[in-house]
Amino acid sequence: MIEYIKGYLSTGTTPGEAGNLFWATVYILLVIVGVSVAVLCMNWLERKILAHMQIRLGPMRVGPHGLLQPFADALKLLIKEDIIPHDADKLVFWSAPVVVTMTAFTTFLVVPFGRTHAVTDMNIGVLFMLGVSSLGVLGIIMAGWSSNSHYPLMGSLRSSAQMVSYEIAMGLAIVSAVLMTSLQTGTGTLSMIGIVEAQASQHTWFIFKFFPLGFLAFAVFAIAMVAETNRAPFDLPEAESELVAGFHTEYSGFRWSLFFLAEYSAMLAVSSIAVTLWLGGWMRPFPTWLGGSTWNMAFSFLPALTFFVLAAMCFLGTIRMPKIPQFRIQTIGLGTFGALLGFVGLVLLVPAVSVRVQDIYWFVVKVAFFMYLYIWYRGTFPRYRFDQLMKVGWKVLLPTGLGVLIATALWGLMPQLSAAITGVLQ
Amino acid sequence: MSERTDYLDLDTKDETFLDATELVLNMGPQHPSTHGVLRVILKLDGEKVLGTECVIGYLHRGVEKIAENRTYAMFNPYVDRMDYVAAVSNGLGYCEAVEKLLSVEAPPRAQYIRVILTELCRIASHQVWLGTHALDIGAITPLFYCFRDREEVLKIFEKYCGARLTTHAFRIGGCIYEAYEGFEQDCKKFCDAFLPKLDEYEELLTTNRIWVERTKGVGILNPEDCIALGVTGPVLRASGVKWDLRKAQPYESYKDFDFMIPTGLHGDTYDRYLVRIEEMRQAARIIRQAVDGLPQGPIMAMVPKVIKPPVGEVYHSIEAPKGELGYFIVSDASTQPYRIRVRPPSFVNLQALDKMVRGLLVADVVAVIGTLDIVLGEVDR
Amino acid sequence: MKLAPLVRKILLVDLIKGLKVTFHYQPPSEAITEQYPLERPVIFERFRGQPRLNSNPDTGESLCIVCNLCALACPEQLIVVKGERNPATKRKEVVSWTYDVSRCMFCGLCEEACSTDALELTQDYEMALYSREGMVLDQAALERGPEPVKYAK
Repeated sequence: MIEYIKGYLSTGTTPGEAGNLFWATVYILLVIVGVSVAVLCMNWLERKILAHMQIRLGPMRVGPHGLLQPFADALKLLIKEDIIPHDADKLVFWSAPVVVTMTAFTTFLVVPFGRTHAVTDMNIGVLFMLGVSSLGVLGIIMAGWSSNSHYPLMGSLRSSAQMVSYEIAMGLAIVSAVLMTSLQTGTGTLSMIGIVEAQASQHTWFIFKFFPLGFLAFAVFAIAMVAETNRAPFDLPEAESELVAGFHTEYSGFRWSLFFLAEYSAMLAVSSIAVTLWLGGWMRPFPTWLGGSTWNMAFSFLPALTFFVLAAMCFLGTIRMPKIPQFRIQTIGLGTFGALLGFVGLVLLVPAVSVRVQDIYWFVVKVAFFMYLYIWYRGTFPRYRFDQLMKVGWKVLLPTGLGVLIATALWGLMPQLSAAITGVLQ
Repeated sequence: MSERTDYLDLDTKDETFLDATELVLNMGPQHPSTHGVLRVILKLDGEKVLGTECVIGYLHRGVEKIAENRTYAMFNPYVDRMDYVAAVSNGLGYCEAVEKLLSVEAPPRAQYIRVILTELCRIASHQVWLGTHALDIGAITPLFYCFRDREEVLKIFEKYCGARLTTHAFRIGGCIYEAYEGFEQDCKKFCDAFLPKLDEYEELLTTNRIWVERTKGVGILNPEDCIALGVTGPVLRASGVKWDLRKAQPYESYKDFDFMIPTGLHGDTYDRYLVRIEEMRQAARIIRQAVDGLPQGPIMAMVPKVIKPPVGEVYHSIEAPKGELGYFIVSDASTQPYRIRVRPPSFVNLQALDKMVRGLLVADVVAVIGTLDIVLGEVDR
Repeated sequence: MKLAPLVRKILLVDLIKGLKVTFHYQPPSEAITEQYPLERPVIFERFRGQPRLNSNPDTGESLCIVCNLCALACPEQLIVVKGERNPATKRKEVVSWTYDVSRCMFCGLCEEACSTDALELTQDYEMALYSREGMVLDQAALERGPEPVKYAK
């Protein structure tokens, strides 16, 4: 058994490439569990970070520092009464959250958390991701339509228009990144793993390539992805001050929680695209500048170090807990959690583990940065109006994306162009 | 007005609302951004607003009727409950109106204390407005910053008169509470700490492109419309009409202070935002001057224990944070008023809603309700 | 459009300014949340809260002289005082004293009307009860002062 696992792990391919159904299933389960856990963490972090930005404390009562709040919420949503409005189209109403959640999770099939940490390496990976993630709008339209109510209908219509128009700008930005894989090398690819490897072989993240073109493409994508996932300041489909809760106004309990899950996993998915395409995917920062075995060694300690820091923060929290009987359980809980984190950190110090986890660590760190941005935006910006949102999409992002695409192509073809021109001149 | 009721009886018997060319959207009374229990029936073409109808009265408590069987002094705490975010201003208006009926005047010290507290109250009220208005437009964070700073005002209120919200701070003839120890320092400290915070709100909003786009050119009211509709307060001043009762008909000791009346140019939501922000600065200026010039002396005029004004009627209005707050009191020489009629600024300003939102989008309705700064307790009384 | 505003617009200066404000408020020390049962708010001296009937600390006699001024001053007419003249001391003594807290709006008029400082609105604010029954306070309850009901499952 162990031999089998070891044997597989040493092949250095994704289960999809190896055509191994068993391992593919294991990876899919891991991804689903991992994404769900990430959504739970995100739930807690969003509440906490947003609260701190708003000079509040956020959840403090359910578990130490509200750590158990996401679980309490999940439990509450599960046991809540499931209400289907009387006049709703039951079948569509029932299937809408399923569609939304399924599409959100399916995108993770091709997300490369590491060279071998992906379910499969599709040669049309980027296309697949774009295609599947844009299917999510279908579920939102279904939800809005089937609720048979005004606010959800308006929310879903806003959502569909918004997602369709921002997909174009997003697509243009992605194409310019894909162009970067092929220009001057002649080995273009749409595979997510291939794109990261292209960045490795070109010794640059695409965000810095053809400066400022790579950065501009990234900026277009970074704005479009916020709109694509219906988050502030583009959260019109669920603008709570206008449309109550937008397309999921009539949903409650578990169905609502599926929408929640889908929204956050969609955020994770688009952030993964951004990380893969522009921020070097699973690569650690400065692989060439700070290269060499010493630096490799130093960077390989970072995952463990992160966990040790988190554990230390937990222990600091236990010290600062009020010393009264009511808080004993919470203090013990926080201490145990810290110990657990410390233990994970210790495990990550084992060289065999740390080598395999390196990729995932860097990928997660980069995605976490985007998640923080999402929260930060939400805490700071007012909401666009519908027409202004369309204006930004069509009049700013689309021309910029097109311009960047053309400029990238021209820049990439510079040697050929100059050769041709000099040839004509001579 | 008659042609505006037709969309209420849209026949939906044999066709669903989807077959109709217009969408009738019932916004409120339970809606996150109608500031309480306002119900707005919107007739929409897609997202475009074709017409509105406000349904009010969900918070009606019959305050004016209650007044008819309370003595003058007893009715005083009830007025705090009309515009509950600016309770001090309400109390000031009522006390002044009764004082006018009795032909007495509060002593100078009382007048200064009253000015300080009403200006603090103006700041508190505008902060609630700013927070909720920003929240309506989608910026959730300013609300918390505003409430943090408003807390300081409420603390001063609590120290002065023992209540935070429905203060019952003034009595007919002056004030019953002497300024507590450290009152002046508290007010000054608040002003010093508050102005940098105000700059911070401005950093979050004033230049923010989303905020500017959401508010500029939205809900325009020109001066003629304002005057025709009887709109007062910052909404009127943002249209460029320099009308502020503190300057136009100085009451209390406002003539002693040097302050400016900010006015806008375009009468849109952005101008109303700027006017209110500037009003907060001016209020802080007035507080500083009043604290510096706080005279010594009695705080209560000679007012009989049992207030029995002579037969007559009086109308007195003050500049409340939301506009002209007027009290019309009819006395029949008994201990109880024969009739009290309140002219609440929110109620009158709300009338402008229909004019402002026609042709705009649903999102703008929310912004306009926010910019009118209505308090439903005052609209419904 | 002038150049400087254009550049500022392209570089998103306005948005970054806002982001800076929310960013620097993040340290938990900036939070103003009061965690209520642990941290209790500061109540100032003039706060008008739970009513109390004071008695003479030396003799234990109620300070109330049954003058009925508080009942007359109360806008909600929630104070009912009944007294009887004691033939021995020639003083009016309380027979029944009720104060309906459920209708009280804490305006403080009764406190102002009281000529002997017998009735006082104290600084206690924890007045939530599980039922309305306990909200009509009689003389004994008023003299005992507040007894906050503890939250229990």
